[in-house]
Amino acid sequence: MIPLSHFLILGAILFCLSVAGIFLNRKNVIILLMSIELMLLSVNLNFVAFSRFLDDMTGQIFVFFILTVAAAEAAIGLAILIVLFRSRRTINVADIDQARG
Amino acid sequence: MFISFVFYTLAAVLVASAIMVISARNPVHCALFLVMAFFSSAGIWLLLEAEFLAIVLVLVYVGAVMVLFLFVVMMLDINLAPLREGFARYLPIGALVAAVVVIEIVLVIGASDIDLPAVGDIVYRDADYSNTKELGTLLYTVHLYAFELAAAILLVAIVAAIALTMRRRSGTKSQDPSRQVAVKREDRIRIVSMPSSSDPEHESSERRR
Amino acid sequence: MSDLLINLFGWLPANLFLLVETLLKIALLLVPLLITVAWYTYAERKVIGYMQVRIGPNRVGPKGWLQPIADAVKLMFKELIVPARANRFLFLIAPVISLTCALAAWAVVPFSDFLVISDINAGLLYILAMTSLGVYGVIIAGWASNSKYALLGAMRCAAQIVAYEIAMGFALVVVLMAAGSLNLREIVAAQEGGIVNWFWLPLLPMFLVYMISGIAETNRAPFDVAEGESEIVAGFHVEYSGMAFSVFFLAEYANMILISALTVLMFLGGWLSPFPLAAGLPLIGGLFEPGVHWFIFKTVFFMFLFLWLRATFPRYRYDQIMRLGWKVFIPLTVVWIAVTGIAIMIGLPPWFD
Repeated sequence: MIPLSHFLILGAILFCLSVAGIFLNRKNVIILLMSIELMLLSVNLNFVAFSRFLDDMTGQIFVFFILTVAAAEAAIGLAILIVLFRSRRTINVADIDQARG
Repeated sequence: MFISFVFYTLAAVLVASAIMVISARNPVHCALFLVMAFFSSAGIWLLLEAEFLAIVLVLVYVGAVMVLFLFVVMMLDINLAPLREGFARYLPIGALVAAVVVIEIVLVIGASDIDLPAVGDIVYRDADYSNTKELGTLLYTVHLYAFELAAAILLVAIVAAIALTMRRRSGTKSQDPSRQVAVKREDRIRIVSMPSSSDPEHESSERRR
Repeated sequence: MSDLLINLFGWLPANLFLLVETLLKIALLLVPLLITVAWYTYAERKVIGYMQVRIGPNRVGPKGWLQPIADAVKLMFKELIVPARANRFLFLIAPVISLTCALAAWAVVPFSDFLVISDINAGLLYILAMTSLGVYGVIIAGWASNSKYALLGAMRCAAQIVAYEIAMGFALVVVLMAAGSLNLREIVAAQEGGIVNWFWLPLLPMFLVYMISGIAETNRAPFDVAEGESEIVAGFHVEYSGMAFSVFFLAEYANMILISALTVLMFLGGWLSPFPLAAGLPLIGGLFEPGVHWFIFKTVFFMFLFLWLRATFPRYRYDQIMRLGWKVFIPLTVVWIAVTGIAIMIGLPPWFD
């Protein structure tokens, strides 16, 4: 059988990959958003694994809410991205240095 | 044995596609690799008998959120070259940070104080156990307020996303389908009753009378 | 059937035996399905032909019955052209994704009380997830072709499928409320009784919404703006030829059959007989027993409906499609969720008592 620690290590690797992704693609907002999704996925993986091994459904409830909020976050993030692209013609984070539109 | 094989295969695919998400050149490829990552983790969740969440992950993330991502990536005409600069420069430090954090977490997980092995193994459930039912029961009783709150967040997200991206450009020629569909006969045709007078025979008969 | 299997393959270890059994089941489902798909294309040309007062294909074989084989042979020998600067891998994998998603959903479709590959708890969710994946084939094809018409078709298709999927999902939520289960077999069991006990009557608006959304999801006329040959040539598959093109075609027809089968399962009592009391009749009574023949009969009727609609209606304009999905269907389904909830609370006979 697969021990719990293997699930946790998988989650850890995913988490670190997404941190590295934010590091490496710090100019491209779309890939930043994708890295955040990946990060949430790794957290969800840990939650599901813990919930199953401890036989407590609360972890899965938490995952449910994370999924909901992450979907909302992605939708709003992409909407902002589109508005940004319309006004600036770029999604380069380095070019976005003004708070006013 | 078989389950272990499936798990390690899925885990390998998951890690490989995560690496591709952060390193692929083209954002469309990144999005597609992210889809693959979601798929394999849905598989892993199925192994953990979290069937509802696994299918919802595919339904919501792969079926809707990633389609949205792809939509945006394909529609925006992005100049990729400046977005990639700095990738090579940050690669060593990024990899270093990632490796250090992984090692730290592995050390924590492996630490004897936490005593993870005491958690034990999964006891697999019968076929008639319904994960969906149990989750739903909890969600609609214990966590009802949180559930309502999540619904409110989603509503706000819908309103915000539409309000942000909606624009009425002046000068475009577009129809309003609701008005077109709502058109009635009376709006377009007016039936007028007029005395017919062009017919000479008719006129003469009128005159005779 | 299972005795025969045990005799033939009983010497295998348990895991391998399960694998062999499942593979055999899949083959038993897929072969008739693909044959149906092939002759469905023939039926389409014939039916639409007669509706337009002509005879349709009539040269290959008696009355044109061998036309699908001729088509298949022709497509197989055609050259598969990959456009210059197209993404070769994605270009070739896109039709495969389309077909896989269309076929994967069949895994949980029950043909009768026991004829099902996999009788899973969350069957309805699984179907919803699998049908929502079909859009990837189209998007990837449109993008990988490196052609503006293909991309336009893909964008239209993605927006349309995502919009109608919400209405479809809500319609299915109403069904699962009414049946109290996500398992397709139990959904049919909840409709036990004659034709008035089936869900099409209490859920009539949802039945219509599901049917129409199904047509929109499969990109069939009158909602086929993703192909829109008069506007964007052939939409997402404009660059495809030969076998790759025909795989898209197979996926579309497999999806149509799937939507028909699902409509039957969820609203028309699946394999149940419309007049169960007639089963006592002499001679023809056996026909009115519930059985797989009813399922096939009803499904074929809906498959015919797809063709009928195509021959009857002109194509919708794109903004009207989006309006219908977002502003008509989604509010309607939300209202009907409330109505069904009330009906279940008061235990409205004969459906919810």
